[in-house]
Order: sequence, then C-alpha cells, then structure tokens
Amino acid sequence: MARARDLHVSYAQHVRLVSSRWMAVGFIALAAAWLLAPLVLSEFQLDVGSRVAIFALGAIGLNLLTGYTGQVSLGHAFFIGTGAYAAAWAGGDQGWPLWIWLPAITLLGTALGAVIGPFALRLRGNYLAIVTLGLLFLGEHVFNNWESVTGGGAGRAVEAETTIGPLDVTSLELFGAEFDREQSLFWFIWLLVGIGALVAKNLVRTRPGRAMQAVRDRDLAAEVIGVSLARYKVGAFAISSGYAALAGGLFGMLQRYISPTEFGGQLGLFLSIQYIAIIIVGGIGTVFGSILGAFIVGAMPRIIESVSQEQDIPFVFGDAGGQDGFISVFSLNQALFGILIIGFLLFEPRGLAAIWLRLKAYFRSWPFSY
Amino acid sequence: MTEFLQLLFQGIALGSQYALIALGFVVIYKATGVINFAQGGFVLVGAYLAYNFNQTWDLPFPLALLLAMAAGALLGAIVERLLLRRMVGEPVFAVLMITIGLLFVLEQSATSMWGFDNLNLGDPWGIETVEVADLNLAVADLWTIGLAAAAMAAFFAFFRYTATGVAMRATAVDQEAAAAQGIAPGRIFALAWAVSGAVAALGGITLAAGPAQLAPGISFVALAAFPAMILGGLDSPAGAVLGGIIIGVTQSLTAGYQPDYAEWLGTNFHTVMPYVVMILILLVRPYGIFGTREVRRI
Amino acid sequence: MKRANPKLRILALFLSLSLVAAACGDDDDEPEASTDTSEETSTPEDDSGGEEGGEEGGEPEEAPGFDGETIRLGVLTPQTGVAAVIGNPLTEGNRVFFEALNAEGGIAGKYPVELDVADTQYQPQTAVQQYNATKNNVAGYVQVLGTPVVNAVLPLLSEDEIVAGPASLDSFWVPEQYLLALGGPYQLQAVNAMDYWFNQEGNDPADTTVCTMIQDDPYGEAGQAGVEFAGEQIGFEVAETARFAATDTDFSGQINTLNSGGCELVFLVSLPSATGAIIGAAAQQQFAPQWIGQSPTWVGVLAQSPIAPYLEENFLLMSEGPEWGDTSSEGMAQMIEDQQEYAPDQQPDIYFSFGYAQAWSWAQVLERAVEMGDLSREGIVEAMNSVGTITTGGLLGDYEYGPPEERVPPRESRVFAIDPESPGGLRAVSEEFVSEAAEAFEFEFEG
Repeated sequence: MARARDLHVSYAQHVRLVSSRWMAVGFIALAAAWLLAPLVLSEFQLDVGSRVAIFALGAIGLNLLTGYTGQVSLGHAFFIGTGAYAAAWAGGDQGWPLWIWLPAITLLGTALGAVIGPFALRLRGNYLAIVTLGLLFLGEHVFNNWESVTGGGAGRAVEAETTIGPLDVTSLELFGAEFDREQSLFWFIWLLVGIGALVAKNLVRTRPGRAMQAVRDRDLAAEVIGVSLARYKVGAFAISSGYAALAGGLFGMLQRYISPTEFGGQLGLFLSIQYIAIIIVGGIGTVFGSILGAFIVGAMPRIIESVSQEQDIPFVFGDAGGQDGFISVFSLNQALFGILIIGFLLFEPRGLAAIWLRLKAYFRSWPFSY
Repeated sequence: MTEFLQLLFQGIALGSQYALIALGFVVIYKATGVINFAQGGFVLVGAYLAYNFNQTWDLPFPLALLLAMAAGALLGAIVERLLLRRMVGEPVFAVLMITIGLLFVLEQSATSMWGFDNLNLGDPWGIETVEVADLNLAVADLWTIGLAAAAMAAFFAFFRYTATGVAMRATAVDQEAAAAQGIAPGRIFALAWAVSGAVAALGGITLAAGPAQLAPGISFVALAAFPAMILGGLDSPAGAVLGGIIIGVTQSLTAGYQPDYAEWLGTNFHTVMPYVVMILILLVRPYGIFGTREVRRI
Repeated sequence: MKRANPKLRILALFLSLSLVAAACGDDDDEPEASTDTSEETSTPEDDSGGEEGGEEGGEPEEAPGFDGETIRLGVLTPQTGVAAVIGNPLTEGNRVFFEALNAEGGIAGKYPVELDVADTQYQPQTAVQQYNATKNNVAGYVQVLGTPVVNAVLPLLSEDEIVAGPASLDSFWVPEQYLLALGGPYQLQAVNAMDYWFNQEGNDPADTTVCTMIQDDPYGEAGQAGVEFAGEQIGFEVAETARFAATDTDFSGQINTLNSGGCELVFLVSLPSATGAIIGAAAQQQFAPQWIGQSPTWVGVLAQSPIAPYLEENFLLMSEGPEWGDTSSEGMAQMIEDQQEYAPDQQPDIYFSFGYAQAWSWAQVLERAVEMGDLSREGIVEAMNSVGTITTGGLLGDYEYGPPEERVPPRESRVFAIDPESPGGLRAVSEEFVSEAAEAFEFEFEG
C-alpha cells in the first residue's frame, strides 16, 4: 500500500525539493560522505573523485540542454575548453582572485551559449547536432591560433588564483588542520556541484523546467500554447554553456595544464560524446542521473587502468602481466565505453536514474512489490 | 592558372572521397532515417580489410578491393540485424548514440587487429603521376575520381532501373505504403546498410591509397564528410555527391590560397573551411541544397 | 513542510562539521594519505647520518619506489596513438637494458629494477593523469616521451621533487633540476644540419631558399629555434614555415605553400606517422627539395615503402650515435648482445637504441645513489648532481652531469642518408661532429 505522504495532493507538495523523510536522510548522508571522503580516501581516489565532480557539473548542464529541452549538442567540449582557457587567462594571466574569475568565466560561457543558441532556432535534430560538431572544429582552430591567450598548439599551464579571501582552495587550513591539494579541491569542487545541482533542480521543478520539457516533447505545440521557443531554446544553450564553462575552469585549475587537442577535433568530439554518454547512462532528463552517470563514465577508465596495473587481464597487453595480449588498456577502455553506451541504450534507455527509481518504487511498496 | 587547375584537380579527387563517404551516410539516412556515426568505422574496417587481403593474403589488388567491398557490405548487414533492428521506434538521439558506440568498438577492433602503425595499402598507383598539359595529375587521384564516378553511376542506375532500387526508394518515401505493396522493410534496411558498408570500404581504400598511409586516423576523415552530407541535404544522394565535390574543392583551394591571401585566419584554416561553408549554407537553406523540407505537424 | 528544508540542511551540515572537527583533532587518523609517505621517508634519512655531497652511506633506506629489494621506475610513453611507433621500441630499449642488468643482480649487483609502464597516447592530459596515478609507487621516471608531454608534467615533477628522463631532446630540459636529459638537443641537431649542408657540403646560404615544416607544438618549435639560430650564425633566413598538427593526415596545403615558395632546403620536424604522408604528398606534386629531418621523423618501414626511392634522393636524417650493428662502438656492441638475448625479434631501430642508452644512464645515476646510500627522492637528485659524466659507450654523446648550471650536454650529431639495404634503412654519411655554430649556442640557465 502506498503511504499517504507519497501522494502529491497540492502543487506545493509536487515541487518540493525534498519530498520525503528518506530523501532528507539521503541528503544528510551525502553531505556526510562529502565531508568525510577526503579524510579516508587516497590521493589517487580523490583526484578521480574531483574529475568525476567536474564531469558531473558539465553533465548537469548538458542534461538541461539535451535532456530537458531536447536540443542535441555535440559541441559541449567547446564550451568546456572556453572555460578552461578563460580560467587560464583571467585567473592566471590577469591574476583575478577565485571569487571573481570563476563567476566571470561562467558568465562568459553563458554569453557564448546565447550566441550559439539562435542556431537551434533555425535547425533541428540531426542538422543541429552536426552544426554543433562544427563548433568543435572551429573552436579547436581558434584555440590553436589565438596564441597570445591560449599558447597555441603547445597548450599552456594554468596557474589560476585559487584564493577566496583568506582561504586557498588548494590548501585549506581549517580548525588548525592543514589539508593538501587533492583534499581541498575535492571539497571545493563537490561543493560547487551541489550548488549547481540545486540550481538546476530549482530550474527544473518550476515553470522554466516545464517550459523546457514542453519544447522537448512538441515544440510546435509548445509555441502554440505560449511557450516562447526563442527564449527557452537560447536560454537552454546559454545555461548549459555556463555550466560547461564552469566545469572547464575547474578542470584547468585541477589539471594545471590544458591544450587545444583536448577540447577540439577528435579528442574534443570524444569528450562531447563522453558527456552525452554520461547523461544517457545516468538518465536523460534527471539531475541526479547526471551525477550517477559521471561516476560511471568518469571513474571507469581510471578503475580499469589501476586494476590492469595490479592484475593480468588475459587478453590485454600493457598490464601487470606484461606484453602478451592483443589489445591495449586504452583500447579496452574505448571498447568498453562503446559497449556501455550500446548496452544502456538497448536495455535501459532511461539510464541509471530509472533503475534507481524502480528500486525505490519496489521498496516503497514492499512487501506488495509485485 | 596552372596552380589553380592543379588545386582544382586535387579538390575534385578529395571531393570524390568525401562524396563516397557522404553517399554511404545518405543511403542509410534515406532508407532508415538514422545518421550513422559509425560510417567512419566502416571506412576504417574496409580499408584495413583491403590491406589484409592484399598484403597479408597476397591477393591481387583489384580482387582485394572487391572483396573488401563485399566484406563491408556484410558488416553493414550484420550491424543492422544485430543492433539497429532493436532500435526501431526509439528516439533519434538514442540511435545516434548507438552508432557512436559502434564507432568506438569498430575503431578498437581495427587497431587491436592491425596495430597503430602506418601501413602501406599496397595499391598499384603509389605516387606516380602523369603529366597532362603542365599539370601533374596523381595516378591515385585519377583512379579515385574514376572509381567514385563508376560507383555513383552504378548507384544511380541501381536506384533508377532495378526493381530493388525502386523498392528502396519507395520505402524511403513511405514505409507503410511500400509494405502494403509487398516490400519487406526489414530487407530494405539491411540492403541499405550493406550498400553503405560497401561504399564506405571503397571510400576507405581511396583514402588510404597513394601517398597517404593506412592508419587508424582515417576514420576521422569521415567526420569531414559530414559537412558534405549536410550541405547536399541529408536524404539526397545527388546532394551528397555535389556536396562532397563542393567541400573538396573548397578545401583544396583554401589550402592553396589562404596562407597567401588571408593569413589572419590562422594556420590550417582549410581543415575548418568545410564547416564554415556548411554553416553558411545551412543558414540560408536549413535542409541543405537538395534536402526535402520537413513537414511538421502538431 | 517547506520550512523544514533549509533548517534540516543546516542542521545536517552542522552535525557533519562537528564530526569533521572531531576527526581532525588527531592527525594520525590520516591513513595511507600518501602525503605522509614522503614525510616519513625524509625522517629516516635524517636519522641515518649526514649525506652531504658524495659521502658514502650505508644500505639505502626504503623510499617511494624502493622496498628494500627492488627499485621501481615509471615509464610514461605512448603505447597507442600516433607516437606509438616511437614509444614502443623505446620502451623495449629501456626494458632490455634492465633485464640484462637484473640478470647480473641489478643495480650495484643487489637491486633489480622493475618498470611501471603507463600509456600516455602522446596526450599531455592523459600523461598528467597517469603521472598522478603512478608517482607514489616509483622512485623516478626512466622515460617520459614527447616534448608537449614533458612540458605538461614538468611543473608536477618540480613540485613532487621526482626525477624523470625525457625521451625528447629539447634544449629546455638541460637546465632543469628534475630532468635527466640526454643526448644532443634538437636545437643543436638543427644547427648542425644547417652547418653540414652549407659548410660541409659547400652550398651557398645566400643562394638557397631555406624553409621549415614543423609540427605545431614545442617539439616543432625546438627545431625551428635551431634553424633560426643557425641562420643568424651562417647567414640565411627562413623563407617559409609550414605548420601542421600531430594528428593531421592531409598535407597537400603545406606542400603547396612550400612548393610555390620555391623552397630548396626544407628542415622537417614531424613524427614518423606524418613523415610518410608529407614526403608522399611532396613526391606526388613533383616537389623535390633537399629534406633534412630531425631525428624522430624517421621510422625503418619508410625505407621499404613506395617513397623509398624519393627518400634516397632527397632525404637526410640528423641523429647521433653509430649505425645499428656497428660493433666498433662499445655501446652498440653491448646493446646488440643484449638485444639478441632479450629481444631477438627487434628490428634495427634508432628508438630502441635511445631507450637502451636512457636506461643505461639511469642505471648510472641509481648506482651513484646506492653508493651514497640514499634512494629517496632527494637522494636521487643528489646522485644526479654528483654522478659526473654519464657515458653510454658511444650510443649517445657523453654528458657531463652536475648541478643544473654546470651541466655540459653533448653537441654532436651525425648525418644519415636513406638506404634500404642498411639496417633500419639508415646509412651514416658523416662522422659525429659538432659545428662551430653549435658550439656558440647557449642554453638558458636560470640564475
């Protein structure tokens, strides 16, 4: 029997952020995990965790664009690259403090997205996807050639300012204890992910979110009932690019070295595809799914690599077992990535979030789960 | 003037390669409505298979070429059966991503079997050139143009004059009506993928022939064929060919003249020129030059 | 009910913070946080008595990458991708040397060396990630391949005080404390090349159009800098510079530019995967200047490809060291012996010899470190600064090591022509030489 509180009987109830006691407990547990993780995980695990966080942030943005508004974009990597280079310039060359350059690059990404957005008004579906693909190549060209800012094909170091007032987010000193770079960045980046998720969730559960979903489902009909396509399509691009730029800036800060090949051309396409894979695996059209997907797609390659360094996987060379085998660890990663996408799309197109929801529903109505 | 003609010729050769790849895309799209991102993978596998037949198994080159095309066709049909059959009715986006996943798997299969090093395809054209009135025409380029033209002619003849070809066109226009006429859509889909695989193999061979080397990187040349396909219209084979030639010629001319006349555009601008052209044309004709305007209903 | 939310969250945060505060009270709670490991290893060093410059210490204490018995060294190399054709044989060279050494007991006869190989795909960001994943398990990196990769990893090396051997010959590595640079730098190869062509072969610099075709990254810029320096010394200017990306496959645009610029001498800086396509495009367009290539432009299979005749006519390679199999050179003789025992299928390959020489150089540093009784990070740096001359029996030029300001790298190069009959496709056409212009080149040392 479904319990009474799970029935939504008012609008207020429907849009609540935390809709049940369990959810609140869940949030507390997550917050606790966030706080405790840097104290128990190794440097390597924290580094992976920070990268997952960056993936999650970008994925939230992409989910807003593709999952909620239905605009397919292959150019996400371009905005991430823009954010990274902007961070290098604003935080590094110009020396702006963190609390200035981080919002600044987010705004830059948003503005850039708003410029690209109008293309979505003119083009649909496949055509839009391929034009955004073109963005990647154009972006790479710009990154390669605008040497004064980007350092050209050689890439550049990112020595961005990392201080907010008295705190340096790469080496926090709280309550008398010193934390190293990996720990401090882990906390900082996941904090931003939390804020980003909150913003996205707020967007999605209220009027703009419903408008975006209307655009996704039937844009002509949406326009007929008064949803402004221009506003929401362009707006979706703008917001998702803002998220991407933020993720890019954090990426630059984390890695301290960026190059055009990462964000454009072939690798850029791979990066964009990784993001799309994240939202597919996690669950299109969910904020929580973006984070789940980021864990899988972001951590899987690293986990495979570290496993292969300990173990000898039978058909893989370059692992602990030496050189016998016919595919490299890198190829294994790529192939698994492709299989993961195919598998999820064939068998669970709504992603991990759907699996999670099913689990929840099962336990909620237990023991009458049939 | 000589330089211009030289560049033009190279552009037509390059454009023929793009046209072959774009044609593969368009055949599938026209028949099934799917954009096959894995086309680059078919190109790659086709070229490597030709290498295998020719160099590893020592078959004569023309035979290797035909066998590679046949193998490509087989691969396309298998992929359609196994993967795409299940995705009928799923949203476009999902199918797109499946083809991307397939691309990864194909690429890694190719590199795991043949490695990352540059290989020599073993074509009989090598780096020979013929001199025609002051121009140096590469033999490989001439063959590329010739083979592409032959393929396209065969293509059009097939679509126009054979029963199966007409059946494919019918399915593309209206699947239900065609089914009512007794044309099995499943067969048509498999055939479309098979043809696309064969054409991709041919494209791959022309890409890897001549001075170019056979390397895993050629799957990304397929990305450059996207503008060609979009430019001509996603569902128009004639558009694919025209688009390919336009993109090839533009790219070649840009490569030749841009460093002298428009240096501010940066180095290697010719690699992004196809996309610029594509975007410009799309702004004017959002469905490509020959593409059919989509009719949308509420 | 809506009101409960913010309060609940703040309460949750507060509770967690107090948990953290409690946990932070005692720092010993930090398990396996590897930041501690480096602190722990420096304390034993202090305990075991002074190791000021060159004193003989006792048995080396345990350190990152050294567990008392085996020394682990990392390798950051492209096993896949466009540079794999260089990375794989180079890593084999590393491996063969250490296997031969381990068969005799290892460093100082006691400590075998094991390699931790990670694939960077010649991508800086992948290399950085691999570095972070492996740095706590290794004493140093025997090989980090690729100028852009080394650039990316260098600030991290300095921060972590780990020494790495760059498999790249940029002159910028010479004054770096944490890089065990080897061999004649690219810049000097280029200078020697220009000297060879003009001063030794007697061509007229005033009458030759000199151009360059370079990869658009630090690797390409190194060669470019060398050619420009030579231009100042010998008296010519670079007329055209064509650039390309490492992953490009179509070079007709660049060849067109060079062709219409009337280039007669072109210095090429590329990876082997591009060389074939570049030369092929040039051959097809009937463009036949004199090509001189930086050492990593070459791979043996090119001598068996359709462009071999063109290469024989028009291509020279700058490198150093003896021809493969020339056993009059001590180092080469030793390497061939080890290669035949531990890698009998290895084809003649200049990268294999470089990797072998690199491993040999590292062994000398490690021997010195064991002599001083300290295999920690600081110990290896000390060893590097006090090892004296690193020699590889002629495979690479002798390198006088010391503190960075006092290092004297070799400046020699040798010119090779292409010959399908020679091992590896290369036939030496000059002796090892240092040109006057190369002697005049100054490395920029930090103050």
